[in-house]
Amino acid sequence: MRIIAIAGNTFREALRDKVLLALIVIAVLVTAAAKIVPPLAVGEGAKIVKDLGLATMTLFCVLIAILVGGRLIYKEVEKRTILTLLAKPVRRWEFVLGKYCGLMLVLIISVALMTLWFTLFLLLTHVPLDIRLLLPIAMLVLELAIVTAVSTLFSTFTTPISSTVFAALTYLAGNMSRDLLALAAMNKSLLVKVLARFSYYLLPNFRNLDFRALVIHNQLLDPNQVLWAIAYSAIYITALLLIAILIFQRRNF
Amino acid sequence: MTKPIEIRDLAKHFRSGFLIREIRALESVSLDVNQGEVFGFLGPNGAGKTTTIKILMGLTRPSEGTATVLGESPSSARVKRRLGFLPEQPYFYDYLSAREILELNARLCGITGREMKQRVDLMLQTVGLTGSQHGRLGKYSRGMLQRVGVAQALLHDPELVILDEPMGGLDPIGRKEFRDIILSLRDRHKTVFFSTHILQDVEMVCDRVAIVVAGRTVSIGRLDEIVSTRLDTIELTMRNVPLPMLQASDIAGMRIMQREDKLLVTVDSEEAADKVLKVLAQNHGQLVAMIPRTHTLEDFFMTQVRAQKPQ
Repeated sequence: MRIIAIAGNTFREALRDKVLLALIVIAVLVTAAAKIVPPLAVGEGAKIVKDLGLATMTLFCVLIAILVGGRLIYKEVEKRTILTLLAKPVRRWEFVLGKYCGLMLVLIISVALMTLWFTLFLLLTHVPLDIRLLLPIAMLVLELAIVTAVSTLFSTFTTPISSTVFAALTYLAGNMSRDLLALAAMNKSLLVKVLARFSYYLLPNFRNLDFRALVIHNQLLDPNQVLWAIAYSAIYITALLLIAILIFQRRNF
Repeated sequence: MTKPIEIRDLAKHFRSGFLIREIRALESVSLDVNQGEVFGFLGPNGAGKTTTIKILMGLTRPSEGTATVLGESPSSARVKRRLGFLPEQPYFYDYLSAREILELNARLCGITGREMKQRVDLMLQTVGLTGSQHGRLGKYSRGMLQRVGVAQALLHDPELVILDEPMGGLDPIGRKEFRDIILSLRDRHKTVFFSTHILQDVEMVCDRVAIVVAGRTVSIGRLDEIVSTRLDTIELTMRNVPLPMLQASDIAGMRIMQREDKLLVTVDSEEAADKVLKVLAQNHGQLVAMIPRTHTLEDFFMTQVRAQKPQ
């Protein structure tokens, strides 16, 4: 009940965030711009539209998760609204979870709206609908859940600017971690190899959740890969939120 | 019987700045608050009142010492169901209305449905915000926000109410209404603990007070013991008494000031006042006024504060 109350209030607060509204509007416009990109070869037009649409949704939803998530808890502390909240019979872990769930609700609705717009756009541009597109969209939600957990973690102890920078770097590094590991393997330095491997296992590996290319290019999907992606996300999110809760438990206000 | 508040040797140190300078907000605070009393927690700015209250509400952890509220640790979520808290200058989500913020607070206390509606209606009526309950809090005045603060503190009918500078920024009408709320809480056998530096309000409502200076409790006692029984001075204003006659009477501790045709005589005891009246009668003088000055809470407070200042 308390988590739901806090989540509901966070949802309401996030909806009023101008950054959120601006990003959704820009995402819609960029998706529409996919139509003016000329195809590189015959039959490639549909793939470009799908790819660009999914990429746009990913980019802007991740930006929402990073920018709005980075201020999630900090704003409550800065504006001192946290004093009356924590004076109620609310456990600190309930507060963190409530804030996280509230932002996730915003993101899920954002993805749903963008999906509706994307579907409409595909219909308008006579691109055949593919039910398999729902898989990368579902994976996007998991990706956002991880990014939001990262933002929430940083929001428990640092400023919005630092939180945004750290969360953005984590996202970028998480998308490049396999490449970094491969590059490090070519390096002679043992320290570089160890650091690269450490970063690879520490940082979230978003490539595990990336099924866009498989779906767009009509390649075979392995159900075990999907299950592994879900399990990986669940473990990572749990770990991040646990750390966030531990840090928040120790804070003085 | 468990006391609503028990504090023993509470200390709080903060580390601040690049050079990790230690700030000692509390050195040693000890006090007890009894069931059903209105307890005033006094001190100059920076004395440690808000830090103590934050520790009682589980918002800050103490560096040393112990504090319990209603017999439990302040960090217990369960005990907060029985506590009401109003922070200094309360802040709320400015996009919500008074009704919405109270409903949110009700849900956080596990109050839902019809009971929530009834309690919210009652609180809005108690604090006089029924007419503006749907307005955005961002548009509220300071006094209105304070009323919302009181409402959210009392919404769940707590046993112990903790208020941090509740009357700061209120006009005289607001302060009178607030005092009435505190007195009504006492009538309902609730315990009230509030910090303030407005001593007149304390004199009107408190049963006991503690004074904290530079992070230490320097005095605790019943208000009627501190204030009413101590006669400080007696001031007599008189006419037609020659000044040399009064000076010649050689009354110990007497101080005389001449103002136009009147003499203002201040003495330290009733016996000295009797002697002054005899001189008045012998010289057929006229007594204009006789005012006993008791030792006020402000006098006591200033004495305690000055005593703690480093020499």
